[in-house]
Amino acid sequence: MAAEATQSVPPETPTARRSRRPASVYGLVGRYGVLAALVITFVVFCLLRPETFPTGDNLKTLLAQMAPVAIVAFGLTVVLVMGDFDLSIVGIIGLSSAVIVSLMSKSDVAWPLALIIGVLLAIAMGVLNGGLIAGIGASSFIITLAAGQVFSGVELEITGGQTIFDNIPTAFLNIATTNILGLSSAVWIMVAVFVIIYLLLNLTQLGRYMYAIGGNQEAARLSGISVKRIRTLGFIITALCSMVAAVILSSRAGAYSNEIGTSFFLPTYAAVFLGAAVLKPGTFNLGGTLIGALFLEVISNGLTLMSLSNAVVLIVQGAILAGAVLLATLQRRAA
Amino acid sequence: MSEPLLRVRDLRKEYDGVVAVDDASFELYGGEIVGLVGKNGAGKSTVIKALAGAISPDAGEVWLDGEPFAVTSPHHALDHGLAFMFQELELIPRMTVAENVMLGAHLPRRLGPFMSWRGMYEQAAQVLAELDDSIDPRGPVDALSVAQQRLVMIARALHRRARIVVLDEPTTSLTDREITDLHDICRRIRARGACVVYVSHRLGEIFSLTDRVIVMRDGHVVEQRATSELTHASLVDVITGGGIAAAREVGRRVTTPAPPADAEPLMRVRDLVRDGVVGPVSFDLRPGEVLGIGGLVGAGRTELLRLLYGADRSSGGSVEVRGRPVALRGPSQAMSAGIALLPEDRRHQGLILDFGVRENTTLASLGRFGSAVPGFPSRTRERAATDELIERLDVVTRDRDQPVRLLSGGNQQKVVIAKWLARDSDVLVFDEPTAGIDIGAKTQIYGIIESLSAAGKAVIVVSSEFNELVSICHRVLVLREGAHVGTLNGAEISEEAIVARCYGDASASV
Repeated sequence: MAAEATQSVPPETPTARRSRRPASVYGLVGRYGVLAALVITFVVFCLLRPETFPTGDNLKTLLAQMAPVAIVAFGLTVVLVMGDFDLSIVGIIGLSSAVIVSLMSKSDVAWPLALIIGVLLAIAMGVLNGGLIAGIGASSFIITLAAGQVFSGVELEITGGQTIFDNIPTAFLNIATTNILGLSSAVWIMVAVFVIIYLLLNLTQLGRYMYAIGGNQEAARLSGISVKRIRTLGFIITALCSMVAAVILSSRAGAYSNEIGTSFFLPTYAAVFLGAAVLKPGTFNLGGTLIGALFLEVISNGLTLMSLSNAVVLIVQGAILAGAVLLATLQRRAA
Repeated sequence: MSEPLLRVRDLRKEYDGVVAVDDASFELYGGEIVGLVGKNGAGKSTVIKALAGAISPDAGEVWLDGEPFAVTSPHHALDHGLAFMFQELELIPRMTVAENVMLGAHLPRRLGPFMSWRGMYEQAAQVLAELDDSIDPRGPVDALSVAQQRLVMIARALHRRARIVVLDEPTTSLTDREITDLHDICRRIRARGACVVYVSHRLGEIFSLTDRVIVMRDGHVVEQRATSELTHASLVDVITGGGIAAAREVGRRVTTPAPPADAEPLMRVRDLVRDGVVGPVSFDLRPGEVLGIGGLVGAGRTELLRLLYGADRSSGGSVEVRGRPVALRGPSQAMSAGIALLPEDRRHQGLILDFGVRENTTLASLGRFGSAVPGFPSRTRERAATDELIERLDVVTRDRDQPVRLLSGGNQQKVVIAKWLARDSDVLVFDEPTAGIDIGAKTQIYGIIESLSAAGKAVIVVSSEFNELVSICHRVLVLREGAHVGTLNGAEISEEAIVARCYGDASASV
C-alpha cells in the first residue's frame, strides 16, 4: 500500500551508548559471501573436471579471457560510485575498434597514431556523455542509452557492418597476445588498469570526492567539490577503459567485427554489482568488482568445459546478476 | 482519571546489543495533550516507532481499551485509531489533496467497483473544513505550503477517526502564526476526546500546550507529571538528568564583547540581491561579531545565506572579504575567500551520511592534508586533525570512522562545524544550527559560536528561535518578505523587538 511505502521514521540512534558491534554471522556472510561462493564454485569445477579445469593453461586462458570484461567493469565502477550509469559502453567499444582498425587497415595509419586517435575519440565520447549529464543535468540512464545507439550508428556507417582483418600491423596484434612472465599481456594490462583505478578511488583526494558525490551530491557541492567536472571525468574514465578493452579484443582477434563488445553489457554490470555485495557491502568498490569479474569468468569457463551451451552460460550469468543485486539490497537494509 | 486509552508496560528494544528503550511504561488517556520530551537518543522515536508498528519491540505489552494489543504494521495501527505524523511529510506529491486525505481508507464507491470522486471530495472537504477551509480538496497537494501539507496529514488522521494522534516535532519550519493554528487544532482534537501526543524540543510550546509531560532519558521514562506541576527549570533538569546547567538556554546573554564600531570590517556586503527572492541587503561584519538574521519562514533568510556562500547566484550587489571582492560564482570561490556554510538541512546538505566522522571532517579541506605525493591525502594527518576536532567540539562518537548516519543530531551538527574549522574559515554562516537537537548539544553549539567569536572569526546565524538570537548575537538584522526591514544593536535586541519587525509595525503587538 502506498501509505506504507512512504512511511518513514527519522532515525534517532542512541549513539552515545552504542557499544562496538560484535561481528555477526550475517555480517561475515555479507562481507565474504560472494568470495566464498567463488571458492566453492572453483572447487566444484576442480572436482567435476579435474583434468581440464585446474590446469595452468586453463587458468591462464581464464585470466586472459576475463581481462577486457574486467577492464570495462573497473571503468563502470567509477561512474557507479558517483551514482551515474553508463549504458553506452557497447557503443564505445564498437566505435573505438572500428576507428582504430579502419585507420590502420584502410588508411595505413601507423598503429601508435591509431591508438592515440582512439584515446582522443574515447575522451570525446566521455566528454559528450558527461557534458550532457553532469553539465546540463540530463538523466545518465537515458543519455548514455541514446549515446550508445549513436556510437553504434557511426560505427556501422564507418565499416558498413563488414569485418575488417587485412593489413593490420603485427605490432598491433602483439599488444594483447604477447606472453610476459608466463601471462598474456592482456592480463598485465588488466592489472595496470586495476592498480591505477584502485589508487584513484581509494587513496586520492579525487577518489574521496567521487565517493562523496555518490553519497550526497548536494552536500559535496556545498563542500566546494566541482561535482560537474568530476562526474564528467567519470564518463571519460569509463570510455577510456572501454577503448582499452576494444584494443585488446581487436588485437586478439586480429580484426574488427560488428559483434565486438556486444556481449559485454551483462557481465560488466554483473561484475560491478556482485562487487558491491562483497568486501564493503552496499558500496561499489574496485576489489569487489575484480572478484565479481573473476567469479563470472570461472562460471563461464567451467560451464564451457562441461560442454554446456552458451545459452546455459547466459542464463546462469543473468541469474547471478539478479542474485547479486538482491544480496546487496538486503545488506543495505541490514546495515 | 478514567480508564487509559492506551497502556504500555515494560517496553524494551535493543539495536545491535544497544538498549534504546528499557522498561518504558506509561499510559495515555482520552481528552489530553501529552508532551513527550527528551534529548535526541533518549528513546522517544523508538517508543513511537514501536507503537506505530514500524519496529517490533523485544519485550513489553500494550493494551488498547483494556485489551492486549499487538501492532503489526502502520496500516494496522491506523485501523485501530493510532495515527502518526513524523517530521517528513508522507504525502504523494502529484495527487490531489482529497486523494491524500483518503489514502489507505475505504474509498467511497459508485456503480460497483468504481470509486466516486465526488464522494471523495465531499468527505475530504468535510474533514478539512475543521482545519483550514482555504485548502481545496481538488487541488494538487504539492501546491500547498508545508504547514498546510501537515494539516492534510492531520486530516487523514481525523478522517480515520484516530483516537491517538502522535505529532513528532510538528512545528519544525512553521511560522508562529501557523504554530498557533496547529496548537488550536490540537486542542480541538482533545475536545473530541482523543489523545494528542506532542513530541517537541521547544519547551515553550510544551508548557503552553500540553496537559501532561512524559520525559524520557537514556531509554527510560523518568517522569510523568501534569505540566502545571513543572517549571521550565525543573523540566530541563529532568531532561538532562541535572548534569548540565542548560537552564542558561533562555537567560544567557552574549559573553564576548561586541567588536568596536570602528573596527575594520571582515566582510562587507553591498546591495546583495536575488530578484524576487531577497534583498537588496547591505551590512558590514566585524571580526568577532555574531550577527543574527531574524525573520519568519519565507522571509528570505536561508536564501540570503545561500547568496553569501555562492550556493545560489545573486542578481546584483557585491561581497568583499578583507577588502578583496569575492566573485560568488559557486561555493568554491566563497570557500577560498574564507566563507563557510552550515546548511539548513545537515543530513541532506551538510553531510555525506555514509562517510565516517573523519571523511566528513576533512571533506572541505582535503587538499591541506597532502602527503609527499600530490593528490594523495595523508591519512595520518587526517586522523590527527579529526581527533583534535572531536576533542575540541566534544563530538560523541564510537570512533573517528563511525558513519555519521549513526550519530545523534547534535553530534552530526558538530561534525559539519568541524568540517569548516578544519579549513580555518573566517566567516561562518550558520543556518538554523540548533534545529532539532537537544538542549545539551544546543548549549555546546552556543559555546562553539562564542569561542569562534573570541578567536576573531565572524559568525552569521539564522534561527527561528528568536530567544536564541537574543542570547548569542551582537546585532540582529531582520528580513520581511525578502526585504531588510530593520537592524537591532546590543541592548535593543529582544524577542519582542524582533517579532515586531518580522510582522511589520501594523501588527507589532503579535
